[in-house]
Amino acid sequence: MIGKTGRKRTWLVAAVLAVGSLFATSLPANAEVGVSSSTIKLGITLPLTGAASPGYNKIGNAMNAYFQYVNDNGGVYGRKITLIQKDDQYSPQLAIAKTNELILKDKVFALVGPLGTATYTAVHKSVGLARRKVPSLFINTGFSGFSDKKKYPTSFTILPSYAMEAKVVSQFLKENFAGKKLGLVYQNDEFGIDALGAFKDAGVKFDVSIPYTSGTQSAATAQTWVSQLAAGGAQVVVFFGVTSATAPLLAVAAAAKYAPQWILGSVGSDPLTLQALGVPVAVMNGALTPAGNPSPNDTSDEYIKMFQEINTKYNNASFDDYVLQGMNLGLLTVQALRAAGPRLTRRGLIKAIENKGSTFASVSYSPLGFSKTSNVGHTGYYMAVVDAKGDRKPYGGSVDLYTTDSGKGPVVKSNFKRPAMPAKGLPTNK
Amino acid sequence: MSKIKFKRSITLVAASSLLSLTVVSVPTVARAADPACSTANFVTTCLGATSDTAPYMMMVPANFNGTVYLYSHGYRPNVPVPAGIPGYGGYTVTNTPEPAPGGNATIIGTLLGKGYAVMGSGFARQGWNADSAVKTNVELVGLFKKQFSKTEKVVAWGSSLGGFITQALAEQYPDLIDAAAPLCMASNIEPLMTMAGDALWGIKTFFDPTIKGGNYSAGAAGYAEAMGDLVKVFTAIGALQAAFAANPTAPAWPATSKVPDALKAIPSRSALVLVALMSGVPMQSAHFDSTSAPSVLSVSQQTSFQLAINPAFAALENLANAAALAVLATHDLELQSGGAIFDNTATNYAARVAEEQFVWSSALSGASATAGMLGYLAVAPRAKADPAAVAKMRTLVTHSGEVEIPTILFTGVADPVTTAGNQQSVIDKYEEYYAEKWAEAKANKRITGDYKKPDNNLLILWNFTPEKYTKYTALGAPDTSVPAATGTNHCNFTTSQLLAIADLLAYAADNGKNMSGGALRTKLRKAGNMTLDRGYSAPALKYYGD
Repeated sequence: MIGKTGRKRTWLVAAVLAVGSLFATSLPANAEVGVSSSTIKLGITLPLTGAASPGYNKIGNAMNAYFQYVNDNGGVYGRKITLIQKDDQYSPQLAIAKTNELILKDKVFALVGPLGTATYTAVHKSVGLARRKVPSLFINTGFSGFSDKKKYPTSFTILPSYAMEAKVVSQFLKENFAGKKLGLVYQNDEFGIDALGAFKDAGVKFDVSIPYTSGTQSAATAQTWVSQLAAGGAQVVVFFGVTSATAPLLAVAAAAKYAPQWILGSVGSDPLTLQALGVPVAVMNGALTPAGNPSPNDTSDEYIKMFQEINTKYNNASFDDYVLQGMNLGLLTVQALRAAGPRLTRRGLIKAIENKGSTFASVSYSPLGFSKTSNVGHTGYYMAVVDAKGDRKPYGGSVDLYTTDSGKGPVVKSNFKRPAMPAKGLPTNK
Repeated sequence: MSKIKFKRSITLVAASSLLSLTVVSVPTVARAADPACSTANFVTTCLGATSDTAPYMMMVPANFNGTVYLYSHGYRPNVPVPAGIPGYGGYTVTNTPEPAPGGNATIIGTLLGKGYAVMGSGFARQGWNADSAVKTNVELVGLFKKQFSKTEKVVAWGSSLGGFITQALAEQYPDLIDAAAPLCMASNIEPLMTMAGDALWGIKTFFDPTIKGGNYSAGAAGYAEAMGDLVKVFTAIGALQAAFAANPTAPAWPATSKVPDALKAIPSRSALVLVALMSGVPMQSAHFDSTSAPSVLSVSQQTSFQLAINPAFAALENLANAAALAVLATHDLELQSGGAIFDNTATNYAARVAEEQFVWSSALSGASATAGMLGYLAVAPRAKADPAAVAKMRTLVTHSGEVEIPTILFTGVADPVTTAGNQQSVIDKYEEYYAEKWAEAKANKRITGDYKKPDNNLLILWNFTPEKYTKYTALGAPDTSVPAATGTNHCNFTTSQLLAIADLLAYAADNGKNMSGGALRTKLRKAGNMTLDRGYSAPALKYYGD
């Protein structure tokens, strides 16, 4: 597109600016889209309704609750944050329309936490986020393809990639289940393929491998998965899919008295959501899962404690992984906005994350990989186990964090110490 | 998923998509250099023929204000299509002149009422006729000025192929034309025929290998082959439509398909979606939005319908249009070029859909199914062009994108025939040209100290689709009897939109630049569904990515 040209600054303009600066207040006026002297407008697309919505539909409200908390405590350099949520029903075409609406009609400053790999792929290309230079912060997908900073110069990931997750699981399988018959059920798109490639590179071979097409998950399809897994004698089953697919898989398996060692991918393993989808706690008991965050029930964790308090006051939702994710996205966003300074611009926000993003406080145990050359957020996992109460505990009793990349890099045990939660949950970074 | 009964056949949509036959009735006239004119109700109507025998029509009001609109009509097949051919039959070759889009009486009446004149040629040759049509139009402008000496401004507009012709006029004759509006335009013939050829080859390969798909024989034999292809294509599409309706989740493959049984385990709808994606046909059609589902379905079924089934119906509806163009235009271009013009021997269809396959994963039945289908296409016999014929085709007029007069582009983002990528290709070329001009202006400033920012002559408008528009009956069946949604179908513009374009042309001709600012936005808002969005970029035609 043909951009606007800079106008020749005349002496008159310069004089006006000079006079204006005399009256500058603590709330600088901004010419940037979505930013006024008193507000910052942000937007998110995610499935608020439809089959894929359980769990995901809590993220926006949780983020908004955190923003309300920040707003009630002075906002970001005096500006209140407004979050506009749009329901894309997990449909790529609808996500395009909704994102266009956010950018063209609502005129948001930036996107925060857009969810879904297919949807985000479609949005990025069709809406032209890079071309429009719209910052897209902390996208909720683990597809490693989004870590291509040249292709996605205004996007920043937050979840460790599916490839990273599969690499950590691969190491865990080798260390703990050598010689067992392995099964795999995976979503047959970039989600599962990302993981599949990493398993292959790690030399993990599955005795039974079952792809499923996104949107086809149901009790009936789960029946075929369980039949194949059982027939193949799979003793350890790795599942890489969404929660709405995990639920029928576990329920059908339990009904069939098929009880392998489950290793549930991080995306589809939230115990509270699984319970809401009808999976009894007893069925989940003992299931393993890679995790990046502490359990949402762990009130000994300063982040969890603070977020729970905010949730109670501003959101009143049952506190689970999705609420935690939403709150944490809010925390990261506020830090990014602060790091960009009072004169908020889209370019400045992107630069701020590149320059300072790796130092942001975040609930996750693993480091943030942001830099001038990397748009990658968190980079590691620890293994956890679901207990008899439906709570997630570190496997072996302590958090053994492993970090890696989405490529051929090694899986390394990490001693990373995450930054402390800002006092009262209110960032003061600059 | 239960059976779906359509309220109307999808393939019938194709019958009217390419043709603009609703034109003003023209009496037979002597084809002479001087037109035969008559005046009635304060309007002088002149009929005649240019030196190439192309009939034309001029309509001039008594209060003629000096500006005339020159309209170029869209693609009309250059051969008759027998009535018995399903989906498209019953076309007779015509060169009836068309002085306004579709002969729209409201548009003609409105323009005449404002003191503008209108004119248009029927062109001497049908089919892809841009080279001769440009010459015809140039001559027609001269004849009009000779006949009506009050003429001061000429604005050109045209739809589809007529949009191509209009763009060519704007590029080549900036002294003759004061402003131009290529609408739902075709871009250069090679990219366009690549899209059509890919679509046709995909249908042939998956659904009926006896479709010839090009390299037609000379003369009557070739004509028969092309008509035979039309029958086969629409028979296959009809079979797919019936299968989709009977079992949308796992529709059967047409009986004419020869793909291996292993491939037939994949729902045929997924193969159709792949054909649409690899050829660049949009995934939203006249009646299918790829976003909605019948409310009578369960929540999980609705998600499945949204992601997997609705897009397949969209692909079906759009491919019916694209395939018709493919057969008829391929036959025509081969006649003009002397041999086969479509070549996909080096086309990597997997690369073509590398990113889109993830977006449409559910509709494609997942990555494994997609890999299986692409693997089949990779080893399927390819179409090979005649290099001499391709070289000849490349001598036909092409667009440079370089316009020095105000030019207005407008198209639907889900046009299945001249996809939005056609308009985008001209935009991209103009941007390069503009960047060069700007750089020259800056360089000149360094030398002479004088600086003038070059005028941006392009006003780019898009007709976006609504978020959701598929209509469902009370039983949950898609209802294709309702009008096509805005932004979809070929050249699917409202009279209000076309009148807005006409106003913008008049403004541009009078002022030497396009309308902008609040006045423009108000005009677009009143017309409805006309969007000015400099940040939007339509998907490029696949040809440019190969």
